[in-house]
Amino acid sequence: MTIGTMFQDIVESFFKKHATRLYPEERIAPPQRYRGVLSYSPSACTGCSLCVKDCPSDAIELVILDRAAKKYVVKYHMDRCIYCGQCVVNCKFKCIGMSNQDWEHAALDKKFMVYYGRDEDIASYLENGAPPAAKTTGK
Amino acid sequence: MNIETTLQQAEGLLAPWNKEATHPESNRLDVVIASGSLRHAVTALHNAHWGYLSAITGLDLGADAGQMEALYHFCFGAALTTLRIRLPRTALALPTIEDIIPPATFFERELHEMLGFKIAGTKSNDRLFIPDDWPDEVFPLRADFSIEQAKPVEGRQTDEVLEAGVVGGNKFVVPIGPQHPALKEPGHFEFSVDGEIVTAARMRLGYAHRGIEKAAEGRNWIQNLYLFERICGICSHTHSLAYCLGVEKLAHVEVSTRAQAIRELVAGLERIHSHLLWLGVAAHEAGFDTLFMYSWRDRETVMNLLEQLTGNRVNYSANVLGGVKCDIGLEQATAIKEGLNFLETRIRHYLEVVTTDTMFLNRTRGIGTISYTEAEEFGLLGPTARASGLVRDVRVEAPYGAYKQFPISAVTETNGDLEARCAVRLNELLVSCFAIRAIIDNLPQGPLTVKMPRKIPAGETISRVEAPRGELFYYIKSNGTEHPARIHVRTPSLCNWVSVLEKAVGRQLADVPMLIAGMDPCFSCNDRMITTVDRSGSRQTLSWTQLRERGIEYYRK
Amino acid sequence: MSALTSLTSLLIFPAGLTLILFGMFYEWVDRKLVARFQNRVGPRWFQPFADIVKLLAKEQITPKVVNPFLFFGLPVIAVSGALTAALYVPLIGFAPVRSFTGDLIVTIYLLSLLTLCIGLAGWNTSSRFSLIGATRALTQLFAYEAPFLLALLGPALAAGTWQINLINDYARGHWMAISQPVGFVVALIGLMGKLELPPFDAPEAETEIVAGALTEYSGRGLALFKVGKSIELIVGITLVSAFYLGGLHGVLPFLAKTLGVLFLMAMLQSLLTRLRIDQTVGMWWRFGSILVLAQILLTIVLKGDLL
Repeated sequence: MTIGTMFQDIVESFFKKHATRLYPEERIAPPQRYRGVLSYSPSACTGCSLCVKDCPSDAIELVILDRAAKKYVVKYHMDRCIYCGQCVVNCKFKCIGMSNQDWEHAALDKKFMVYYGRDEDIASYLENGAPPAAKTTGK
Repeated sequence: MNIETTLQQAEGLLAPWNKEATHPESNRLDVVIASGSLRHAVTALHNAHWGYLSAITGLDLGADAGQMEALYHFCFGAALTTLRIRLPRTALALPTIEDIIPPATFFERELHEMLGFKIAGTKSNDRLFIPDDWPDEVFPLRADFSIEQAKPVEGRQTDEVLEAGVVGGNKFVVPIGPQHPALKEPGHFEFSVDGEIVTAARMRLGYAHRGIEKAAEGRNWIQNLYLFERICGICSHTHSLAYCLGVEKLAHVEVSTRAQAIRELVAGLERIHSHLLWLGVAAHEAGFDTLFMYSWRDRETVMNLLEQLTGNRVNYSANVLGGVKCDIGLEQATAIKEGLNFLETRIRHYLEVVTTDTMFLNRTRGIGTISYTEAEEFGLLGPTARASGLVRDVRVEAPYGAYKQFPISAVTETNGDLEARCAVRLNELLVSCFAIRAIIDNLPQGPLTVKMPRKIPAGETISRVEAPRGELFYYIKSNGTEHPARIHVRTPSLCNWVSVLEKAVGRQLADVPMLIAGMDPCFSCNDRMITTVDRSGSRQTLSWTQLRERGIEYYRK
Repeated sequence: MSALTSLTSLLIFPAGLTLILFGMFYEWVDRKLVARFQNRVGPRWFQPFADIVKLLAKEQITPKVVNPFLFFGLPVIAVSGALTAALYVPLIGFAPVRSFTGDLIVTIYLLSLLTLCIGLAGWNTSSRFSLIGATRALTQLFAYEAPFLLALLGPALAAGTWQINLINDYARGHWMAISQPVGFVVALIGLMGKLELPPFDAPEAETEIVAGALTEYSGRGLALFKVGKSIELIVGITLVSAFYLGGLHGVLPFLAKTLGVLFLMAMLQSLLTRLRIDQTVGMWWRFGSILVLAQILLTIVLKGDLL
């Protein structure tokens, strides 16, 4: 009759440090491949919209203000994103990426829309909306 | 016996009722029969011990075609025989086969509730997946279903307060679920007890139903990959693997050996994750919280490995259609090997604890014993079946992907009780560790992904994969566009519920949570469809209290 | 004793308020020890106090079918039973506040009053889970009560008296854990049964019957029951360590010995799986009773020899 098979574990643990990490005082660095929040640079973008087409949760919208001048605004719904990384896989020009540092986005209010692009493009989009000739892709 | 002779044997058995036989793939046989000969055909296959009933799929061939089809899938090793029955939409009558094959009852109820097939002769017509206030005659998976039809029916929700526990005579009903500390996910069980001994058991599923099969029809193939991955958190990789294997078969795309090996590696790591989680849950149900804490602490190691490899701890998204996303470099390989060293020591320790600790054995030895014949009859799958000596393991019987190059040996026990199930799962992990090391040391070279077309050619395919809980069955039908026509998922937990219901009777109430935990239920896998939120945000709301009270009220009659 | 001293010793120190605070402290030590054994952090020192304060602030939901007199009265009776039992044991190393011949039996029965109240409360609220929990609690009471009482009887026999403070004085210098080891073991394990600690927590098995007899209690009622349980913890440990570990005379010996017993109990809690109720009863009536009876017989024989 064997009783107390975990005796050694118990005694060892009493003298060891606890296995819990005291977040937020103690933060572990996420690994390099971690899929955090989106990052986007309009300079390499061509407006092909493959990232928008295959997003499982319609989290990303591409507003093309001027294709030739590479004026793009990406509207990113941070709450809809499921951090799958399909947009990154689809992009042939490496203009979309997923940060591995920026992932702590629990919030108390629901303003989750993030705009990416050059500051002047975002400002002009927010003021004037999309120009009539421009195409907005996204559902 | 190889696949060809097996299929020929099946064709021979079904000859008297065979209207048309085809071989859509090299390991499959499709036989069209009339609904009247269904029972004869099933009895013939059953009496000849030709495999087991794996799933029953219902297809809506379109409102214009005016027909629906029911597919009965039987699996024998790597060979698959499907009985196809075509019926007009106005006359969807089928005889039941639950007296010949007991687990068919769950499949038939799903057929009825989702598509409206009328199954004659069933023992109980209780609703299984659909809530009580779902309108009658509205079937969600039909092609002409629209969300406006799904308005809740007033008056079927009961708001009265529960009476005192005694119900009629000396029948005392203890409800477990939908909210109960024993359950990690909602499900409803009713156990009638007499003192502490259980006298009858009933169950109700569908509380985590999300409408995934219906939702899949509106998304393209790539989006569906992520949808199906999220059917379950701890078998997510196997779901996405089954989906990818099926779609790649349809597109006639051959994935590189390197990608296949990486897929098997992630599947092995996921199995370690899943079984360690299960060990903790089973220990917690037994009251052995120390084992629970330690096994979940060690599970952190494997989750960190997966995070390092794929980028996420749960829902890894390692697969893409045509290959994998993540490569294994030197850094990952070293980390995995170190992690495995630690995990193997701990797994061996837990194996010792589980098989020698007298007090834990008091709760597991000799409890919920299922013999070999019973396991066959109940149609059990996965480690629950292997603990009774029944070798049902798709990785061994019908190896897919890299399992031909890096095979897995089947682990079985003979006792069939809860202790045997613990031992089977832990031994499986040791086998997995061995296979993972072999893969890392002999990783084939090659590209990670292969080009996949966006429009998948028309056709039907079946892919079977071994999830940590048993055989996962995917039926995928494409009609040549960017959206699938029908995807049917049959998860292993659905087949294993019979073991709980049958074995709970006659045992103590205290053993019931252990029995439920012993078959490693995954409710998220079970429930896959009811109406969900549509784009405008309207949703069908059912409060938990109402669900619970309704469930109890319903079964009290 | 003047009325003021009586009231102070009754309500503030060493019984009453101090007792409640000490009870919470011991509950914290127990939870912290179990957590450290499981490689976790464990709660901070004020956690049990915070739990009680939170519960007092919450709404008390009264089921429709209860007898309101019993529903509100039982927690009060339970706590008063526990508080009264504390008057006769050497709390915090000081002499018992009250003492008379035969107070050992009274104390033990006052402690059982707590379990009886829990059982009645479960029956009264009559939800399915609380009925099963109440049945199990009372079954367990019948199981361990006799061996536990007999285990405390051993030192009483050796000391030749039924009065707790006299036994306490006799125990000074006589470590009965050494002279009556079997009795010590049975007393310790019996204490775990009395307190419904794992492995004997079938009456409140969280994974089977939600919270057992106290399922439908919330707010003030639950807070009072919890206070009662933590007092029972302290009183039980004080009894066992006073009898078997050489008496409690002074604050430091009190702390050292009771915390030592608590440490042992925490270790046993982490090591063992929960027993089913039928296994508990079987074990107690087969092993517990026989062992302790043998021990008592041995004590009687030896004492007879010595006299």
